Amino acid sequence: MSKLVCKKCVLDSDIPGIQINEDTGLCHFCETYAPLTSQEKNEYLSRIGELFKQYRGKGNYDVIYALSGGKDSSYTLYKLKKDYPFLKIRAVQFDNGFTSENAIKNAQKMCKITGCDYFQLTMEKEVLYNTFRKAAESYDAFPKFAKYRASDICNVCITIIKQKLIEQAILQKAPFIIFAFTAGQSPNPIINLSVNFIQWSRNLFEKQLQKIGVDDKDEMFLLKKEVLENIGENVPSILHPLCLWDYSEDKVLETLLEIGWEPPGISDSNSTNCTLNSFACYNHLEKYGFHPYAFDVAGLVRSGEMSREEGLEKINQELSQPLIEEAARKLKLKIKSSQKVIVKI
Amino acid sequence: MEQIRNDIVDYLKANSFMDNNSSLNDNDSLTQKGIIDSIGLLELMDYICEKYSIEIPEDLLTPENFDSLQGITNMITKLAK
Repeated sequence: MSKLVCKKCVLDSDIPGIQINEDTGLCHFCETYAPLTSQEKNEYLSRIGELFKQYRGKGNYDVIYALSGGKDSSYTLYKLKKDYPFLKIRAVQFDNGFTSENAIKNAQKMCKITGCDYFQLTMEKEVLYNTFRKAAESYDAFPKFAKYRASDICNVCITIIKQKLIEQAILQKAPFIIFAFTAGQSPNPIINLSVNFIQWSRNLFEKQLQKIGVDDKDEMFLLKKEVLENIGENVPSILHPLCLWDYSEDKVLETLLEIGWEPPGISDSNSTNCTLNSFACYNHLEKYGFHPYAFDVAGLVRSGEMSREEGLEKINQELSQPLIEEAARKLKLKIKSSQKVIVKI
Repeated sequence: MEQIRNDIVDYLKANSFMDNNSSLNDNDSLTQKGIIDSIGLLELMDYICEKYSIEIPEDLLTPENFDSLQGITNMITKLAK
C-alpha cells in the first residue's frame, strides 16, 4: 500500500505504529485530539499563579529553570519574569559538551536581562561523549513511545537534565521546576511529583543507562540517592507554562531579537543551541527510519501553533552535513560518507 | 475487571505505546517490556484518573500497582469502589 500522510498533521503511515484512516485521511492522534480550550488554558494559568503566590519565598529559590539558551527556553524565561516578576529563579544550563558558544552567551545574557541566577551544570567531556556514543550505538534501549518523542541521544540528554533539575530543586528547596516545552512536547501543564514517582523514574533511568552500557555508579547523571533520601517535605512540581501561552515561532524570535538574544549561527532547523542535534536526528533516521521531530512538529501543527506547510518543510529539511560530521568525529563514530541526509516523508 | 484490563490495553494501543498486533500478559512489566517510561507513566496516570474519576494517592504509586495490567486493574478496582 502506498504511503499515506495525515491530512491534518505531518505523520505518515510509514512510521511504525501510525495508522491513517483512509476515509477521513487523519492519523489516529488527530482523530482523537482534544486540545485544551482557551478557558482550560486560562484556568491552568490561574492555578499556576496561585501556586506561585502560595509557595514562593520558602526556599533558596522559587524556581529551578531549565535554560538551554535556545529560543523557546530563552523566551519562556523572559515571559515568565515579565508575568511573575516576584519569582526568584535559578536558571540551570546543562552543557552537554555540544552546547554552542552562542547558546552559552545567550543563556547568560537572558539571565542578566531577567535578573535570574545562572548556573552551569556540566561534566567531563569524555564521559559525556562516551555516553552519547553508547546511546547512538544502542537499538531499542528506550520504549517505543520515547522513540517517538526524541532520538535516543536526546532522550538520554533530557533525562539527565530532568534528574539533575529535580536534584537541584530538592537541594535548593525550590517548589517548582519549569521547562519550556511546547504543546507538542509536554503531557501536562502541571505535574505534581511524589517521592514514589521520583524514585521510580530514577530507577527506570538507571536501567535505561545500563541497557546502553553505562553504569552510573557515581550518580553523575542520576539523581543522587542521598539527596532523595533527605527530600523531606520539599517535593517539587513541574510546570510547563509555554504550552499554555500563544505560541508562534516568528513571534518568539521577534521578541527575543528585540531584547538582545543573538541568532544561533548553527545551521540546524530543529535546534538553536545544540550542535549534536543534527547527528542525533541522522542517527535516529538511520536506526528507525523516521524523523525524531516528526511527533513534536505534528503536535505543533495539530494544535495550530505551526502551519502544516511549515511543519512539512521543517522535517523535510536537509540535515546539516558539517554538524553531523563534527559530532561524529567527537563521538568517534562513522557516518555514511558524503551522503545527503534528506528526511523522507 | 476484564473491562478495565481491555480499556488499558486499548489506550496503550490507541496512543502508540504498543503495536496493535502485539499482546500483553497480565503480569508482564510495562517498563521492562519497553512499553512505558516515566513520561508514559504520567500520561497513563492522567488517563486512568480521568476515565475512572479517581485520584491516585501517592502511596499507591508504586511498581506493584502500576507496572502491570494486573496491578493497574486491581488498583483501579480498589479506588473506584
